[in-house]
Amino acid sequence: MTVLRCAGAMVLVCLCAAGAGAQEAPALRPHRVVLDGGVHWSGGYPIGDATAQLRGNAAGNAPPPFTLFAARSDVTRATSVDVRVGFALTSRWLIEAGASFGMPRVGVAISADREAAAQALEGEQLKQYVVDAAVLWHLPVRVGARARPFVIGGGGYLRQLHEERTLLETGQVFYGGGGVRYWLRGGSGAGRAVGLRGDVRATVRRGGIDFEDKRRVYPTFAVHLFVAL
Amino acid sequence: MKWMGGLLVAAAVVSSAAPVSAYLKLGTSVDGRIIDVTWRAPVRYFISEVDAPTASAADLRGAVARAAASWQAVPSATVRLEFQGMTAAAPGLIDGRTTIGFLDRPELDRVLGATSFLIDTDNGAILEADVFFNAPFAWSVSPQGTPGRVDLESVALHELGHLLGLGHSALGETELTGSGGRRVVASGAVMFPIAMAAGTIADRVLQPDDVAGISDLYPAPDQLTTTGGITGRVTKGGNGLLGAHVVAFNPETGVLVGNFALTAGGEFVIARLQPGPYILRVEPLDDAEVDSFFSTAIDVDFRVAYASRMVVAPRGGSSAPIEIKVIAK
Repeated sequence: MTVLRCAGAMVLVCLCAAGAGAQEAPALRPHRVVLDGGVHWSGGYPIGDATAQLRGNAAGNAPPPFTLFAARSDVTRATSVDVRVGFALTSRWLIEAGASFGMPRVGVAISADREAAAQALEGEQLKQYVVDAAVLWHLPVRVGARARPFVIGGGGYLRQLHEERTLLETGQVFYGGGGVRYWLRGGSGAGRAVGLRGDVRATVRRGGIDFEDKRRVYPTFAVHLFVAL
Repeated sequence: MKWMGGLLVAAAVVSSAAPVSAYLKLGTSVDGRIIDVTWRAPVRYFISEVDAPTASAADLRGAVARAAASWQAVPSATVRLEFQGMTAAAPGLIDGRTTIGFLDRPELDRVLGATSFLIDTDNGAILEADVFFNAPFAWSVSPQGTPGRVDLESVALHELGHLLGLGHSALGETELTGSGGRRVVASGAVMFPIAMAAGTIADRVLQPDDVAGISDLYPAPDQLTTTGGITGRVTKGGNGLLGAHVVAFNPETGVLVGNFALTAGGEFVIARLQPGPYILRVEPLDDAEVDSFFSTAIDVDFRVAYASRMVVAPRGGSSAPIEIKVIAK
């Protein structure tokens, strides 16, 4: 469902772009640096179901196990701070590198305990760092007078530190999506340009804290202020 | 030098037990502090020549050898047991020899076996330990087990755990029987005090709780740097809760290991864990014969509770202490 919602948002962005007129829109100036900073919101995702089991005492070689309790864990949605540095290869292509920091929680829901009610534990707070690189392609269409849509794809290194900072888990993130860059000032000639950028991505996480070592997909929404030097 | 002898009732067919999990080490008080009771040299044991009606001394020798091999095979521990020969002596005598054998004790109709110790109370060193297996029981040494008979190797594995210095684990669930005893519903440790049903051979395999316990007593050289521990305190109404049973569950590996709050302040330590995050569950020993675990009275009037968050056992160290609060039933 999460992936479908992301895909829906991307289609919406593209439809908006397709509906734009023919007037020339602002664009990146080739061979210039673009500084970028803002926040992004990451959706939550499960990190595994586990059941605490004892060996059943019954006849036969493999009696059914006894469930002491079951635990469902997830990483909660979180807001991260994001900084990025890009380089415009052309007016449409931009490469960028970024780093983000967030503090999601690991929540645990307990169930199937015969001696305790189902309950949600308060969970622990992670410190999460991502260092990534991406490629952006600005579509040859505009949205309104000062905006231009783009698609983005990239990947990076994930670093998650448990609450007591005694255990580090690492992994990778890969993402793809689309968004709109809106010029508040400049963008059509020489000089510094300032604007806003928003995007929605489908992010695939591999590694990091995960009790089942599965790939997890979750949505990310970002809003940034950019300065094109 | 002071000497102390003790008797541990180790496994009964029907008895009382606790519904949870943990390994417990034997300890002795030296200068006001509790230290582990351990062997300081390889365990050199003899097998008594006395046969039981359903198993011979040779059968016992074989079962004990297999059980000893299981303990010695724990890679995270350094345990050494050496067979010295057969002996005409019976177990239970203070003769400077560690003797394992059958004894005819029909009055102990719920006791499969027991281990007694001679301990140097100056330093906690075990000087001698004898193990007896109750001869009147119907024993089995069949590789697949024998319906209606108690597996000798399983009980030997449990008794050798005591011989090495482990107490009982509470990792199990029981239910009352019509005769007033308890039947094991489930077990998570060979060191659980009540044996599995006759005919089963499940207790021939050490469980993570047993492995953690023996690794804590006799850690392999790399254990101090490759494993971690969890520390904390169980409180009820702000006061420490002696005897509360704390179970650590690793959601990634499924491993369950536990221990008890062993001080009046309710402090607990669960050591020799694989590094990683753990869910902590606290439970009272409320349907057990508490004296299978403790020689003092403990408070069992509280509900099962969980730590508010997962706690990480760090590699080569211990977690910051976490407080787990429980409330009365």
